[in-house]
Amino acid sequence: MSEATIPRRAFFHIAAAGAVATQIGCGRRPNTAGQRYEVATACESCPNKCSVIAVVEGGMIRKLNPNPRNPKSRGMLCARGNAGILQAYDPNRLKQPMIREGKRGEGKWRNASWEEAFDYAAGKLAAIKEKYGPQGVVWSSTESFAEIFFKNLGLAYGTPNIVRHPTLCLASVNLAYSMTFGTVPSFDLQNANYVIMAGANRFESFITPDTMDLIESTMNRKARLICLDPRFTVTAAKADTWFPIKPGTDMAFILAMLHVIIGEGRYDKAFLDTYSTGFDKLQAHVIQYTPEWAEKQTEIPASEIVRIAREFSDAAPRAVFYAGRRSSWYQNDFQMRRAQAILNAVVGNWDKQGGMVPNGKMPLGELLFLPWDDPQAPRVDELDKNFPLAAKGDGAYLKLRENVLAGTPYPVKGWMISKQDPFNALPDQSKTLRMMEQMDFIGVIDIQMSDTAWYADVVFPESTYLERTDPIEMLPGIWPAVVMRQQVIKPLHNTKPCLDIVQGLAKRLNLSQYFDYTIEQWNEAAAKEMPIEMPLEYLKKHGVYASPDPPRYGATLQPEHRFVTKSGKIELFSERLQEAGHDPLPVYHAPEQPPAGRFRLVLGRKAFFTHANNTTNPWLLDFQKENRLWMHPQSAKPTGIADGDLVEVTSSVGSVRLRVKVAEEIRPDCVHMLHGFGKRSPWLKRAGEGGADAAILETAWDRVSGNAALHETFVQVRKVGVPS
Amino acid sequence: MKNEGKRYALAIDSRKCINCKACVVACRAENHVPLGHSRNWINEEHRGSWPKLFASFEPEQCHHCANPSCVRVCPTGASYQRADGIVMINEDECIGCRYCIVACPYGARFFREDTGVVEKCTLCAHRVDRGEAPACVETCPSKARIFGDLFDENGPLQQVLSTREHRVSKPQTGNSPQIYYLF
Repeated sequence: MSEATIPRRAFFHIAAAGAVATQIGCGRRPNTAGQRYEVATACESCPNKCSVIAVVEGGMIRKLNPNPRNPKSRGMLCARGNAGILQAYDPNRLKQPMIREGKRGEGKWRNASWEEAFDYAAGKLAAIKEKYGPQGVVWSSTESFAEIFFKNLGLAYGTPNIVRHPTLCLASVNLAYSMTFGTVPSFDLQNANYVIMAGANRFESFITPDTMDLIESTMNRKARLICLDPRFTVTAAKADTWFPIKPGTDMAFILAMLHVIIGEGRYDKAFLDTYSTGFDKLQAHVIQYTPEWAEKQTEIPASEIVRIAREFSDAAPRAVFYAGRRSSWYQNDFQMRRAQAILNAVVGNWDKQGGMVPNGKMPLGELLFLPWDDPQAPRVDELDKNFPLAAKGDGAYLKLRENVLAGTPYPVKGWMISKQDPFNALPDQSKTLRMMEQMDFIGVIDIQMSDTAWYADVVFPESTYLERTDPIEMLPGIWPAVVMRQQVIKPLHNTKPCLDIVQGLAKRLNLSQYFDYTIEQWNEAAAKEMPIEMPLEYLKKHGVYASPDPPRYGATLQPEHRFVTKSGKIELFSERLQEAGHDPLPVYHAPEQPPAGRFRLVLGRKAFFTHANNTTNPWLLDFQKENRLWMHPQSAKPTGIADGDLVEVTSSVGSVRLRVKVAEEIRPDCVHMLHGFGKRSPWLKRAGEGGADAAILETAWDRVSGNAALHETFVQVRKVGVPS
Repeated sequence: MKNEGKRYALAIDSRKCINCKACVVACRAENHVPLGHSRNWINEEHRGSWPKLFASFEPEQCHHCANPSCVRVCPTGASYQRADGIVMINEDECIGCRYCIVACPYGARFFREDTGVVEKCTLCAHRVDRGEAPACVETCPSKARIFGDLFDENGPLQQVLSTREHRVSKPQTGNSPQIYYLF
């Protein structure tokens, strides 16, 4: 698609805003006339909600500084957080509602008023409801403060088909820890003395408070860091020991650690006797998993597995096997995370300083609004049948797509999407495209013309996080806090915050009675339970409220404490899993290996970008202008591939072209590419060059949680060009 | 003179640097540094071959030398040093001759085509004068940079320099650089 397909008026707007961007990005002496003021707010460059202080001069945001009052983010703001200014001043952002005129993806849009866009979308949604029932529309979104409004509109509309991001992210880790401990804990990296990170690349992929804590622990307190990763990442570079583990064999490593720790009597017997159930069965189960056996699976020497197991149990309870964030890897991912959870439990690091700590919370009030009826229809992804243990409200994204494409158990003809780019977030773009093509209506709420928005019918431009006030939110954690995102500058364009968009649609769908409140009322109701005077005023001034008391440990370590599991104890052996037809203890199955001439595609992230976002931000793109295919010299050489060559990477579902980075830093049986590149939308033409992983990833999911399994794709690599 | 009796400097713990570039973006935003140039950067070193690999990262910027060669060569006096040690450029007096760029042993200066003057790290003197830390120091997620007054015996900088081994980059130039890299 060429530039010529963008309507002339859109071009005019782009050009006009370009002048603003120049001023902010490059101006030597910015206009500093006018009032200077600061607003304490919350970042939205990633889902981590760090607190920031925005400095405004002459009506423009000059700088985003970290807000040290937040006990989590403290004095940090990462590259993305600093570059967030450009989100507001992006010349290519969505500036007013648009309705598609040509064919889907043809790029013929007309600018519309909000009334027109609401009327059009509500008309389509009403028609689908009339013909197919409310279950005929899928409502999908990714985590954000305002997601609740969007989700509630779907529920009030009556669809059971709310599908959120966890099954593209961390559903398997959440479910595994919940099934074991009844909750998903935090890892006290600030106080841990021994940390094992398997596949979690916390020094490179995602810069968050955990990153700060871990670097402080490892460098200043000499905590030991063990890294398992098929790539030599920044985390591997900073680790005391890095094992280039064979992909998909992490569970073998963990089970062998359990074999050593239990076999040598290094487990916390008193703790397990009091708080857990099923140790006898676990003990018998792991006898088979010797370090020598695990060496053959993982390619990590048995002696090293024994050493790590001993060091880990010696350091306990200040020792953690870190759970990881994006856990969408393999079809046995849930069971691998269960093995981790069990390993953590066995050394007794539960609710101890430097161990695994159940999240503290702070009270927030709730605004009362009219309840809607529960949906009549079952979910289209048939969650109860396919993933009965999975979180009910999140859905299973890939199974949902399969069923929508098959038209079973009923037709789905509408798709409402907020703050999500399924076209890049889901594996296998051709399937996502087919899902979109069979829809009668697609409505997208976004700040930019994402690839998904490009194929939509109506695009609702949301105000950026610097232009709107969101619902205040409590961040659970070892040190919980309440944070507020508030408007820093008035919207630069004809955009609205999520609640206003929801209300505009609700009015026309006769659902206004469920959304009869303002953001101020919502926030007042939420804040009133906070244990301080004038809580909302406090939040508006400081942006964050943290409990003045430092974290306390051990609240759950009372013999009478009931864990939220079937037995009320930590479940090493899970009867619920057994009843649901799954392994009650993690059983290792060796992963399929790529046949000769093929490579396993392993994904990863770089913290300049959040998922498929920020790749249009010039300040961030400056560090990484394209994604390249990492290939080990041993793999590249026989096929005549040299550094910089253009290659075609092909899987069973598609192919992409990108250039090669010949690198020692990856196992010869794998290739790697960064997510978020290779965009289709012409509005994102500033985005980096390269290929989209979603075009070649195959559809597979974890059997228990339904989480996408993104490391199960084997690819061929063919040279198609030389560096120009 | 402003800040008499102070000597600002930086200590950098490169082991803590994870090459996340937060400092580079914070500087770009704070000081309106145009793309294509940077006032601070991170030197990367990658060594070894599979599977014995090493990588290290070292943040760098103007060293605010005690004996700055850039100031000595400046024909107009545009480059000057404040009493507190911060090396500055008076943009109104800079004629863009770029002698200083050649004189700097660290490559910390660059010429801006759009303004016709030379630019570099000012240790965020405007922030420091307000009592704030430089933007790169404040934002750093891993707190690899420690900013302070060398004359303040109990300050954070002296505390770390008196307890940790450190070195400076290219001491042989005689510039007496004031970024202290911690071992």
